[in-house]
Amino acid sequence: MTHPAYAKPETLDEALLFLKNYGAHMCPLAGGTDVMVNLRSGKLKTPYLLDVSRLPDLQGIAVSEEGLSVGAGTTINEIYASPLVAKHAPSLIKSCAFFGSPQIRNVATMGGNVGNASPSADTAPPLLVHGTKAILAGERGKRTVAVEDLFVGPYQSGIRSHELLLRFILKPAGAGFSDFQKIGRRKSLAISRMSMAVLADREKDGSFASIRLALGSGTPTPMRMGRVESFLVGKRPDPQTLEAGARLMAAEMIRVTGIRPSTVYKEKAIQGLFLRIMGPLAEN
Amino acid sequence: MKTYSVFPIQFTLNGEETRLEVGARETALYVIRERLSLKGTKEGCGMGECGACTIVVDGKSVNACLMAAPQLDGRKVMTVEGLGNEENLHPLQKALLDHHGVQCGFCTPGLLMSAQALIGETPRPTHQQVVESISGNLCRCTGYQQIVTAIEDGTKKTGGED
Repeated sequence: MTHPAYAKPETLDEALLFLKNYGAHMCPLAGGTDVMVNLRSGKLKTPYLLDVSRLPDLQGIAVSEEGLSVGAGTTINEIYASPLVAKHAPSLIKSCAFFGSPQIRNVATMGGNVGNASPSADTAPPLLVHGTKAILAGERGKRTVAVEDLFVGPYQSGIRSHELLLRFILKPAGAGFSDFQKIGRRKSLAISRMSMAVLADREKDGSFASIRLALGSGTPTPMRMGRVESFLVGKRPDPQTLEAGARLMAAEMIRVTGIRPSTVYKEKAIQGLFLRIMGPLAEN
Repeated sequence: MKTYSVFPIQFTLNGEETRLEVGARETALYVIRERLSLKGTKEGCGMGECGACTIVVDGKSVNACLMAAPQLDGRKVMTVEGLGNEENLHPLQKALLDHHGVQCGFCTPGLLMSAQALIGETPRPTHQQVVESISGNLCRCTGYQQIVTAIEDGTKKTGGED
């Protein structure tokens, strides 16, 4: 069992100076819902814990000309309760509604959910369909990256050791269709077996003007399903198109992930989940 | 910036100012249960799955097993010991007895803290809000029905005091 030393910066500059000196030997601590579990199990061994939970620079939800800005230190419960997120990113709200448990949602942060880089991170599919950019601060200033670039591999983050995740910028949803759905073993406290988010705009004739689809837990990192999106654009959601879209979702997942013992389940589950999430749009 | 192998904290625990020095590896649960000897807060799974260690921190329900002890600094904390005592049970505790919502009792303090956090924010919760508020608390004895009924009844008798 390791006994890390504790550091609590009052300002961002203090935190960045610490990261410059100790970045390779520390773990940031916010809500603790992953860090404390991994410390206890021995999976995480670190000389320093950097407590960023009360840094003002990581807080707050706002709308600007850049888009919808959500601080990395914002808790899942704060996001869930935000009228701004409800208006501009309803699928993110839905992913927060079924996230962990009330106790987890009260402390867990979106920065932690992304930073932990779990393939099943519940906020990832909504962030992906919103074309989210992550803003990181480091010793040489700020860096902006697409949020998918922070998911390098399972539990492998693209955040560099001297960097701190500051906030996320989401492209607001228009008046189109948006949803998030997940399959878990039970309703609360279930790690997602599979999750999906969609954001779509349609033409007057019902065909898709644009559609973004993202998958969680089906691939080693959460990812946009670009080929399915291209297939659906310009088409109407009639039963044949949706069935074909569902088969293409499964084919894409298998192409990326390969055949695994879980494929026999996931190949069917992904099609069911796709048809369920697209259900409200389905034409007879 | 200074780093600490032990960090001095000051927080309010059930209305009393409390000061001590804690390590970053210590959890709020360890501090409350083992160092301050308040044994009402239980350790079930120790990884945020069961809710037996639920406490109320600044009005919100939190898994004490997942909270690093230094993060208690400056907070207002309530454990089941702050709710009522044997002579003077809180309406939620009384209702759990009346409705047979307690069998082995291990999950009860955590459930009470989740319910307490709920009525702090929503003094007159709906059935759905009660169910949702305890969705992070496992009980392997009762099947939940009696617990939900008890909390619904108990919230009617708290008289808006919270």
